[in-house]
Amino acid sequence: MSVALLPRHTAVVAKSSVLALLTLLLAAPAAAQWVGYPTANVPRNADGSVNMKAPAPRLPNGKPDLSGIWVPSTPGRQVNGEDLVSDGDDITTSPQMANLGVGIEGGLPYQEWLKPIVKERTDNLAIDDPHIRCLPDNFLRAYGLPHMLKYVHTVDLWVTLNEMNAGYRQVFTDARALPEEPNPSWQGYSSAKWMGDTLVVDTIGLRDDNWIDWNGSVLTEAAKVHEEITRPDYGHIINKVTVDDPKAYTKPWTVTIKQRIVVDAELIDEICLENEQFVRLMKQEK
Amino acid sequence: MKLSLCSLVTMGAALFTALPASAHHSFPAQYDIDKPITLTVKVTKVEWTNPHIFIYGDASGEQGKLQDWAFEMGGPNALLRKGWKRDSLKADDIVIIEGSLARDGSRLVNARTVTMQATGRKMFAGSSGGDEVPAAKPKP
Repeated sequence: MSVALLPRHTAVVAKSSVLALLTLLLAAPAAAQWVGYPTANVPRNADGSVNMKAPAPRLPNGKPDLSGIWVPSTPGRQVNGEDLVSDGDDITTSPQMANLGVGIEGGLPYQEWLKPIVKERTDNLAIDDPHIRCLPDNFLRAYGLPHMLKYVHTVDLWVTLNEMNAGYRQVFTDARALPEEPNPSWQGYSSAKWMGDTLVVDTIGLRDDNWIDWNGSVLTEAAKVHEEITRPDYGHIINKVTVDDPKAYTKPWTVTIKQRIVVDAELIDEICLENEQFVRLMKQEK
Repeated sequence: MKLSLCSLVTMGAALFTALPASAHHSFPAQYDIDKPITLTVKVTKVEWTNPHIFIYGDASGEQGKLQDWAFEMGGPNALLRKGWKRDSLKADDIVIIEGSLARDGSRLVNARTVTMQATGRKMFAGSSGGDEVPAAKPKP
């Protein structure tokens, strides 16, 4: 509706509002650009630093709100064992990026058929990695890669936006039944429910040979992934992941994945297929 | 392509600590951390593209004067967050580039830093090997 079609008093208010908005926009400081845009409602200490241990925000239903931008927690970005907040220019990988089972004694319990495949992929530095070929990263792998993940969390839905290839994952937080015959996909089908302040997510319907680390460990169509996710404070997410995939592994295994918050930054698309050259160059070398 | 255990260990150490946002692929699979190089480059073309920005140019350095070098950097999102702009580099700019040579002997370099000769401004290039100068690899 144009301003000209509004009643006179409404039109005056609308014009004033538009002028006020324009004034605000024109007065925005130079720093208020897309890169480095200030994050709202960040808890801060007296010295202005981000209070990573402030209480987690809450959803309207009182449960922890996972919303925010997240990157892997890593020893390389800690002081005295405490994660540093990220401003987007210090994104590093998780210690589990190369080998998701690095913290498991004896490593991931591969089935015999998978052992030589992972060894070959590890030895050749993952030159056949789907990630390098610009294919999607499933959620387990994305947690450890050096790309921003933006969580958008409502009472009924938790969406992950991945700036790598502009990917997404949906988790329906209404405890709906999982499909009986899911079409295999990169992210699978996920349903969640709350147990206290822990979001419990179950996922099935993943496709075969779905890489979960740089060594080439995989999930198969038989995989059931169980996540127990908490946000104990403002700055951290802790995800206890259990994988039950009898086709690929001799027994279920559990790992804990940690993430730290990013503030004053925004997602910037990284569409890998624009100008991927690594695969071509490596094939030439062979 | 054969890589030593040391290379793998070096890669592993890097992965656990500081592999940066531009790590689209394994650094040691393509570049040799033991072949550092510094070149003065006249830029001929800039490809501001994902997953890696490429600078092309003619270079002079220890190897003499050679044309048609390619320099891989991080992706646009990583460089924007480091303060780069899409037009920070243009054709005919003169820059000093520090980085690591490709394993295959080609005139391909993974750039770590780029210094504008005109202003002296030095910027990190979002290298998949990290911002730090690589430590010398232990002898096997």
